[in-house]
Amino acid sequence: MSGSLLAARDVRMAFGGVVALDGASIEVRPGCVTGLIGRNGSGKSTLFNCLTGFLKPTAGVVELDGRDITGRSPHEVMRAGVARTFQTPRIDFQTTGRQAVLCGLYPRVEHGFLASLLGLPRATREERVLQRHADEVVERMQMQAWSASKVHELSMGRLRTVEVARAIAADARFMLLDEPAAGIGRDEIRVLADEIRGLADRGIGVLLVEHNFSLIRMLCDDVTVLDTGIVIFRGTPDEARRNDLVRQLYLGAAAAGEAA
Amino acid sequence: MTWRTSRRRNTWIMLAVAVVACAVAPWKPVWLDTVVLTGILALISLSAGLSFGQAGILSMAQGTFAAIGAYATAVCTTRLGLPAWAGLPLAIALPAVLAWVLARMVTRMPELATALATLALATLLEIVARNWDAVTGGYVGIAGIPPVEGFAVGWRFNILVWTFVVLAVLVYENLMNSAHGRALNIVRHDRTRAMADGVAVAPLLSAMLATSGAMAGAGGWLYAHYITYMSPQSLDTVASISALLMAVVGGAGYILGPVVGTFLLSLLGKLLPAQEAQGLFYGGALILILVMAPEGLLGWIHRRFEKKAAREPAAVAGTAAEPERPARTLETAP
Repeated sequence: MSGSLLAARDVRMAFGGVVALDGASIEVRPGCVTGLIGRNGSGKSTLFNCLTGFLKPTAGVVELDGRDITGRSPHEVMRAGVARTFQTPRIDFQTTGRQAVLCGLYPRVEHGFLASLLGLPRATREERVLQRHADEVVERMQMQAWSASKVHELSMGRLRTVEVARAIAADARFMLLDEPAAGIGRDEIRVLADEIRGLADRGIGVLLVEHNFSLIRMLCDDVTVLDTGIVIFRGTPDEARRNDLVRQLYLGAAAAGEAA
Repeated sequence: MTWRTSRRRNTWIMLAVAVVACAVAPWKPVWLDTVVLTGILALISLSAGLSFGQAGILSMAQGTFAAIGAYATAVCTTRLGLPAWAGLPLAIALPAVLAWVLARMVTRMPELATALATLALATLLEIVARNWDAVTGGYVGIAGIPPVEGFAVGWRFNILVWTFVVLAVLVYENLMNSAHGRALNIVRHDRTRAMADGVAVAPLLSAMLATSGAMAGAGGWLYAHYITYMSPQSLDTVASISALLMAVVGGAGYILGPVVGTFLLSLLGKLLPAQEAQGLFYGGALILILVMAPEGLLGWIHRRFEKKAAREPAAVAGTAAEPERPARTLETAP
């Protein structure tokens, strides 16, 4: 099919004798939020890393807009429009939120290293443009009040916002979020949910790896459930909730986890 | 816009220091010699600061890059009879190319392995210099390197040296004010993060190390024409390590850190008593500095000013309103 689409097809990933993914497929469409859920060790992170170029699948294909991008390096995948966040935010804690956003703008840079060294006019001009873009992103993500604070002073929720802002700064068309709600409070989850919905409304295709099923229900248009490296279900969140296999293998465990 | 918010803050400070150095030094011949050598070492130390402080590449080959620059110009001027200025492009380009190739090969390795690989290269090239009699003169070295045309007099040469230092700081500061400079800092902090930001790590590090090699090569060019003699012992591994030490003592993460460190350690060398006991005092002072200020002297000063700012709410509001500044550059005059 044509049009914008990020997809993994029959991806198999083996680490030595351990098979983490066994023919898993997933599609992420622009303007939609796709959920990816499963128990710990079910292969969610492996699939996530295959999609973003951090892992090269043993077999199978990763496609972006119909083009084969299997085995491309992470920075190439990023430059092609697929951005990611990390489960544990990887930020230099001595920088500010705005500086983190500036770092995310790197793929937009057109001037070379030498032009930077010599301080050529086009390098200075582009730097001014980047600074302006950073302000725009800060404004769009409503970070103005605290974007000048050092990152180590921020709450986990704001840290996640910084991560998302950094990832979308360079106009990513696809956004892969690795457990963005892990370790943050209820109010902050609500803010985050609005942000994620906002990404999809702007036409970005979002993949959400998440343990919090209520967040999945709130946000996702469809959901893929992984177990032991195999896709056991694909459909809407409500269908997933009614599906016996999903309830037995995943939701039961999650419900037990929530009760504890 | 004041000097504190200027994008070329470090360059302006460096220019002021260089002007003072050039004006004061000629009063006494001993001063002049110290100031010239300090400037040359500062240049090599700046190259170490760029690679270690900004990109986290612990290069033990900065002295070697300088030596290649020095040998290049020594061979050009003594064997081929070319003027000193003709040796300059080669003295800058040769170490830059070598550093680029080296970075391509070693930066995939973990940090310590990279450091050892650069050390291995330094050792290897030292052996080559000792044995390649036809070109490097072997153990004997190359004597009779002519002075730089137009800069043969001491005070003039001093101005030339400090012009190079100011230019190196300018280039360095330009880089750190740009997206490529920020990308280097991301790579130092976390390579995985850098890849996710769309940074092509290997080419970026190669360009950085080539720049650093070029700076060191320029230092070697000045060295050769000042000392007029070049041998395998002139700019050896000890020089690489002391260039790194000077950068770390001054504050490798700060643009002017290496310059401050070079001044400090040169001064220490002059003030300390007798030659035999010097190593003892030198080492002791070094340990003291690194224990008290692990981020170098400028890091220590920076921290004190941050604390002071935190105590004065008005000052905090002032800094928050200032335009974005690149991380970890000089916050205050040394």
